[in-house]
Amino acid sequence: MAQSIIIIAEHFEGELRPVTYELVGFALELQKFCPAKIKMLILGDDVAGLAQDAATHTGLDVVAVIVPALTTYNLEVYKGILSERLPDLDPVYICMAHTTQGADLAPPLAVRIKAACITGVVQVSGEKDRVSFARDMYAGKVVATFESTSERRILTLQPGSLPSPVFDHPAPVAVETWTATYLAKQSMSRGIKPPKETNAALTEAEVVVSAGKGVGKKENLQIIDNLSRLWPGSAVGGSRPVCDSGWLEYRQQVGTTGATVAPKLYVACGISGASQHIAGMRGSGFIVAINRDSGAAIFNVADVCVVEDLITFIPCLIEEHRKQSI
Amino acid sequence: MASTNIKILVCVKEVPQPEAPIGIDPSAGWVQIERSTSYRINRFDGFAVEEALLIKEAFPDTTVDFITVGPDRSAMILKRALGMGGDQGIHIVTDGEGYLSPFVTAHWIALYARGKTYDLILTGVMSEDYMQGQVGPTIAEFLSLPCATATIFERLSPGEGEVYVAREIEGGFRDTLVLRLPVVLTVQSGINRPRYPSLSNMLRAKRQQMKTIAAKSLKQTDPRQGVIGIAYPSKLRSGQVLIGTQEEKARELLKILSEKSLVQ
Ligand SMILES: Cc1cc2nc3c(=O)[nH]c(=O)nc-3n(C[C@H](O)[C@H](O)[C@H](O)COP(=O)(O)OP(=O)(O)OC[C@H]3O[C@@H](n4cnc5c(N)ncnc54)[C@H](O)[C@@H]3O)c2cc1C
Ligand SMILES: Nc1ncnc2c1ncn2[C@@H]1O[C@H](COP(=O)(O)O)[C@@H](O)[C@H]1O
Repeated sequence: MAQSIIIIAEHFEGELRPVTYELVGFALELQKFCPAKIKMLILGDDVAGLAQDAATHTGLDVVAVIVPALTTYNLEVYKGILSERLPDLDPVYICMAHTTQGADLAPPLAVRIKAACITGVVQVSGEKDRVSFARDMYAGKVVATFESTSERRILTLQPGSLPSPVFDHPAPVAVETWTATYLAKQSMSRGIKPPKETNAALTEAEVVVSAGKGVGKKENLQIIDNLSRLWPGSAVGGSRPVCDSGWLEYRQQVGTTGATVAPKLYVACGISGASQHIAGMRGSGFIVAINRDSGAAIFNVADVCVVEDLITFIPCLIEEHRKQSI
Repeated sequence: MASTNIKILVCVKEVPQPEAPIGIDPSAGWVQIERSTSYRINRFDGFAVEEALLIKEAFPDTTVDFITVGPDRSAMILKRALGMGGDQGIHIVTDGEGYLSPFVTAHWIALYARGKTYDLILTGVMSEDYMQGQVGPTIAEFLSLPCATATIFERLSPGEGEVYVAREIEGGFRDTLVLRLPVVLTVQSGINRPRYPSLSNMLRAKRQQMKTIAAKSLKQTDPRQGVIGIAYPSKLRSGQVLIGTQEEKARELLKILSEKSLVQ
């Protein structure tokens, strides 16, 4: 039987998540090293329309896996159905997004189907029979190249690492439909709850000054506030741990589980630059990073790098600005 | 499960402190970390430890054990966790400093946990150094247990043999579910505010509370994947590094920003 490269689509509230198209780009990269057929699986109780859209848009083989009553992602159901169906497709690669869904599903599915599992992949390289996968380690300070000798590999792609491919008038393809049932015995989904707070102030600001754990303590947030006053209409944001500590509100969090911002200017103060933070601010027009560790990953996405202790540097910056304004 | 006699295992890992320089050893194809570097408990694991201790406060018959897989040095973080509270530390001692596949780590932890009737196994959502988010869900599958990742809220109902869980998903949404015990949960940061270790607990964290197992003595497993090389990331932007004194850097930064009309 022919080998395959499988894409597990992600959808939410009736729409494919954009990262699904990034997965198509990822699968096409993998196909350069492995002449297998790409197939996208979309699971849910009402996914026929989504499958048709995806097939029309990409020209790929798409399977609508109709699972009655499956309205949202559920690990037990996804794992149960996929571990049953995937082996028949002889998958060499199974591609998912490195999201809260992919990260939940990939490791246990890998155990079930005896696959390797490499999460948060940002790049594929190599040659035939020797393909390797790059991913961040140590808060993005280094990039590690992974290899696997397993015959099957589950890979989760870090969102935003690869552009979605441009599809030119793909040839029409027929959508396959499978029906699957799986009775969850250990877990019952109880629904998805919407966020409590809005983060409009942050996403609409032209300048965002962000605080990381490097501010050290809550009192030092004053320094970040003072800096933000250089720009009328700016907003103060922060990394997740700063919000976890209660130094800022959660609606001020920037990153995959916070706001995605793209201001004209982003000033990152004492932020290490983990991929989950960068994903929320990499689209900013101009990025200034202040960090006392010259090896911090944030400097790789910055336009200007200031290797300094923020506690002393920021007051100095404010003072220089004051001098120049009078 | 009718009694409130709850057994919890918390997985904790040591990581180098975040400002430690991460060197590269090209011959080994792995990172090189200076001997003088200090290590601390993975920040995400602090939330898992705290969550276990909160359960112990709510259900006093609870026992909380901590387990780590790592070199001799990592005994320290077990002590730190015991300093926060809890009953026993289990150290699976590895040789050397190389990369450990999540399948290997999870296999050893699962071997230890198997048959010990833990109701709850908690891990951090990811390790700050490896950043895989795999060890927890992999342990769950090795033990055929249900699992929820990125847990931002949990409410245990030992009488019903259930736990209600909210997982934090993208965009601030929460995916809620009820799982049958025993379960594995990976704990997302922000679920609680981890306490500091107390001196009396630190002193209590004596030898008899520590169990040591040589990784060599355990059954080995296929790592399925490995690291073949390490590099520094490439810069995605110009990344102009400012030089000089603080004042000079401040003036240079203001000049660049004003040239781009980004500051008045
Ligand atoms: C599923 C998931 C979702 C996540 N979502 C998000 C998210 O949405 N947003 C987010 O931010 N994170 C998120 N994270 C967490 C993320 O992985 C990192 O842990 C986090 O971004 C690190 O925050 P930080 O840079 O402030 O802290 P650290 O990594 O602790 O870095 C602190 C930095 O400050 C520097 N520093 C220290 N003192 C000073 C000083 N005096 N002067 C200058 N610099 C100093 C240090 O060199 C270091 O680089 C998520 C993680 C997971 C697993
Ligand atoms: N060597 C280890 N010893 C104990 N627990 C670990 C180890 N590695 C990972 N873990 C646990 O698994 C979580 C996820 O780690 P990772 O899969 O490496 O991202 C961590 O937060 C720990 O709770």
